[in-house]
Amino acid sequence: MSEARNLQTVDFDARARQVLSQQPLLSAKDVEVTFSLRGNKLVAIRRASLDLYEGETLAIVGESGSGKSVFTKCFVGMLDKNGSITHGSIEYDGMDLTELTEKQWLSVRGKKIAMVTQDPMTSLNPLKTIGKQIQESVELHQGLRGAAAKAETIRMLEAVGIPDPERRYKQYPHEFSGGMRQRVVTAIAVACRPQILICDEPTTALDVTIQAQILDLIRRLQKEQNMTIIYITHDLGVVANVADRVAVMYAGQVIEIGMANEVFFDPWHPYTWALLSALPQLGIKGEKLPAIDGTPPNLFNKIVGDAFAPRNKHALNIDFLEEPPMYEVTATHEVKAWLRDPRAPKVEQPHAIKLLESQDGKSKGTDPNAYHPHLDPNRQPLIEVKNMQVTFGSGRKKFVAVNDVNFTIYKGETFALVGESGSGKTTIGRALVRINPITAGEVYLEGQKINGKISKAQDLNVIRSCQMIFQDPMASLNERAKVDYIVSEGLINHHLYSSEQERQEKVQKALEEVGLLPEFSSRFPHEFSGGQRQRIGIARALIMEPKFIVADEPISALDVSIRAQVLNLLNDLKQKRGLTYMFIAHDLSVVRFISDRIAVIHKGRIVELAEAEELFLHPLHPYTQALLSAVPNPNPYLERTKQLLVYDPSIHDYSTDKPVWEEILPDHFIYGNQRELDGYRKKLGL
Amino acid sequence: MAAKKERKKTVQELEAPVVNLNVKYNTVDTEPKKERPYGREYPKSRNKMPEKQLFEFAEYHPQDAERTGYSNYSYWKSVWANFLKKKPAVIMSCVFIALFIFTFVASAIGKYDIYMATDPINRAYIAPNSEYWFGTNAIGQDYWAQVWYATRASILLAVLVSLGQIVVGVIIGLVWGYVRSLDRFFTELYNLIDNIPTIIYMTLIALMIGKNMVTMGIAMVGFGWLGTARNVRNLVFMYRDREYNLASRCLGTKLGRILFRNIFPYLVSVIILRMALAIPGTIAYETTLTYLGLMDITKPSLGMLLSTARSVFPRASYTLIFPAIIVSIITITFYLVGNAFSDACDPRNHV
Repeated sequence: MSEARNLQTVDFDARARQVLSQQPLLSAKDVEVTFSLRGNKLVAIRRASLDLYEGETLAIVGESGSGKSVFTKCFVGMLDKNGSITHGSIEYDGMDLTELTEKQWLSVRGKKIAMVTQDPMTSLNPLKTIGKQIQESVELHQGLRGAAAKAETIRMLEAVGIPDPERRYKQYPHEFSGGMRQRVVTAIAVACRPQILICDEPTTALDVTIQAQILDLIRRLQKEQNMTIIYITHDLGVVANVADRVAVMYAGQVIEIGMANEVFFDPWHPYTWALLSALPQLGIKGEKLPAIDGTPPNLFNKIVGDAFAPRNKHALNIDFLEEPPMYEVTATHEVKAWLRDPRAPKVEQPHAIKLLESQDGKSKGTDPNAYHPHLDPNRQPLIEVKNMQVTFGSGRKKFVAVNDVNFTIYKGETFALVGESGSGKTTIGRALVRINPITAGEVYLEGQKINGKISKAQDLNVIRSCQMIFQDPMASLNERAKVDYIVSEGLINHHLYSSEQERQEKVQKALEEVGLLPEFSSRFPHEFSGGQRQRIGIARALIMEPKFIVADEPISALDVSIRAQVLNLLNDLKQKRGLTYMFIAHDLSVVRFISDRIAVIHKGRIVELAEAEELFLHPLHPYTQALLSAVPNPNPYLERTKQLLVYDPSIHDYSTDKPVWEEILPDHFIYGNQRELDGYRKKLGL
Repeated sequence: MAAKKERKKTVQELEAPVVNLNVKYNTVDTEPKKERPYGREYPKSRNKMPEKQLFEFAEYHPQDAERTGYSNYSYWKSVWANFLKKKPAVIMSCVFIALFIFTFVASAIGKYDIYMATDPINRAYIAPNSEYWFGTNAIGQDYWAQVWYATRASILLAVLVSLGQIVVGVIIGLVWGYVRSLDRFFTELYNLIDNIPTIIYMTLIALMIGKNMVTMGIAMVGFGWLGTARNVRNLVFMYRDREYNLASRCLGTKLGRILFRNIFPYLVSVIILRMALAIPGTIAYETTLTYLGLMDITKPSLGMLLSTARSVFPRASYTLIFPAIIVSIITITFYLVGNAFSDACDPRNHV
């Protein structure tokens, strides 16, 4: 294990003085972008303004559809064909970027302003070697040829932290992992030594530990090459990590902009309040998260007044009538909200915002009276998994996805399974609902074995008892069926109703229970937003009246403002119906808020299993420690001084001393050999 | 019995008043929705509201928030609208429909029918005139009756055969694509049938069973499903592992229902396209078979008319021209309709 980063502190006041003393490097004024879509006009950017100062990192935060990507695409002239800038100007280097011809763009795009795109899987050419692809950029923009270009390429690969660059130079994209590809894409963008680098969610598709490394890399490159960075993201933890200044976008407008500390600790737009207070990191276990109702507006409609008004619990009458102007809070902090008007009533910032500054990221408010099912002396196991193994393929292609996994889930608890992509967490979840067959081991539901051959009555019982909620709300609903059919599919399969009327009543009840209007049952899924679709998926599972629900990353594909709604709903249902959850996630911060116990899985093996707070306070396994150290924290000061631990599996020497699954403390299990266990015990002071 | 009791109990639990802590939908207004910016009544301009009131807190309605954003895009409506934009395809479809209806009218208004007595000596190859509108054929029968009867028979054969091919092909293709354990079996079956030219099979069937329309039609279906099945199988792969199918499996949905509710609707556009292209294909195939002498030639079909007219072409060119025009209309119609439809079905063209 090594410390990957030095401690660094940020002096936001010094940066603010620096910003105030400069002329902006790039200045966008009243930019309006219109798309024509199916014969309709869609105004994606509604007169947004933004100044960018040299050497800073500006983060743009917003939900999907807020226009953050479209806005920055204007800076590199990469709008989609059906979109155009219909108003405003973007001044850069004495030019107005909105008026450049395609030919003029060639001298700006890539050379002066470059972009790193979101998906590292599709932004590289699979038919060319990595070296060639970087070299292309080096030759084009630095004018180097032949051996010199190759040497520079290899230097670039080294600079973005790719080990053994000589060998890697000759490899193809499929031989690189997601994080490595993102480094390569970054290398291509940086190879032209741009003045401004736009990073469009470069880490969204990556695991937290890899994400932290990429953020480090971008920060380092910025320092070395003195770049100005625009960082687009929806993740406030990432914002806290990278940003000097933060711009919050909603419905195609910049609604709040300021230094990172100002936006995080002294925000004034109700939307920013809502976003920050809905963070699970700030939630108190057992209490509801302050969620934002509803969904962002449909930009096809004409928006009157403040776009956030219908969802805003602090909305004034004027918010529905007139668009607010920008109000200055400090010299560097501006807010587009009527609440800052001198005529407006005085409002206090919500309590959660104040928590943010005082939160130290270690200890955490837990409702002391909260009931923890696994601590109940009469606890009853609902699901027991013994020595479970799942393999895919056969013969030479055999792949062990889950290996020798043991755990027990007690009635009424939320059991979290946390791991990175490819760790086998989804496979375990699917094995429990019997989508993936188990190769070895046993699964018990209320003491009865449910894997292998079972009776028909038992099979029906398992189907009704165990249901699943899926990750991607876009893919998990059948687009060509009405909500009515989707929700009642389980009922129809097993004839769980006596009359058509009873079926419809059940559907209405299920929809109501997840907070949807009963009239939605006659619509098709495409009419709904991600959060609504996810709730339809929950209703589909609930109608079977299950005891146990596997929730496979139910919020990771949702927008920040929607996540809290779904988390609250899951918690409500748990209390009302006495449900038991297995909550699969890659994000530890969410898991801490929602779960009673957490299991950490690495490469198909559970390496540590403990009570949630216990795991956060005393992580023992080096992998757990590495995961915890990488969790983004929505506090710029903490986030920037956190120490990142890197897990290296080769530290385990299991050649002679065989590892075991040991209960080191009551309810705290760990995977390790005797020598390691002794070390862990010493650490716990046993 | 015990299970039933338990179920009843849980239903009662369900019926207990739902305390929705998040949003209270019990108060949803049932009055018809008017066109209003955010579902709330406000004066058009701020001047109508006193300034003091402007800066008061507005009432918060959670159902307004829920209503803010959904699109009213409908896939099939867009497909239809896009298809209607392709004028040539629309015009040709109208022409084709008119042509098919006319085959019935033509037989009724014609002076003779196809069963007219033959008289090869006096009436062979009379050029079109007021008595014989399309002239006569080699054995002195009225060509008008022949052509329209053949058109109707060929269109019916083509539609039925294409439909048969598609139905069989889609069913087999769905099972082939979705059920992993049957993939090997169907692949081998496909290879077995596909590797021998169908003409050989057709010849054998014609010689051993008979050459009538029904037999040959069934034989055409029997080999024509292969292409469709393969196409469908490859498409099923795209949808097979989507999460909504996993959800269905989780709910214990039966295979047939998964195939026809979850996967089939996504393939409808491709299936219609294949069907449109199969119709002229079948007519062409029928012509080939007639030319090879594998079809029944006692009743006229377009294939038969074309293959007999070919031998007398320069002399009695009208016997070729009339059926050729009709075949061209059918082929062009389905070619245009197929293309227009496949363009219209592509969601990328719905922008």
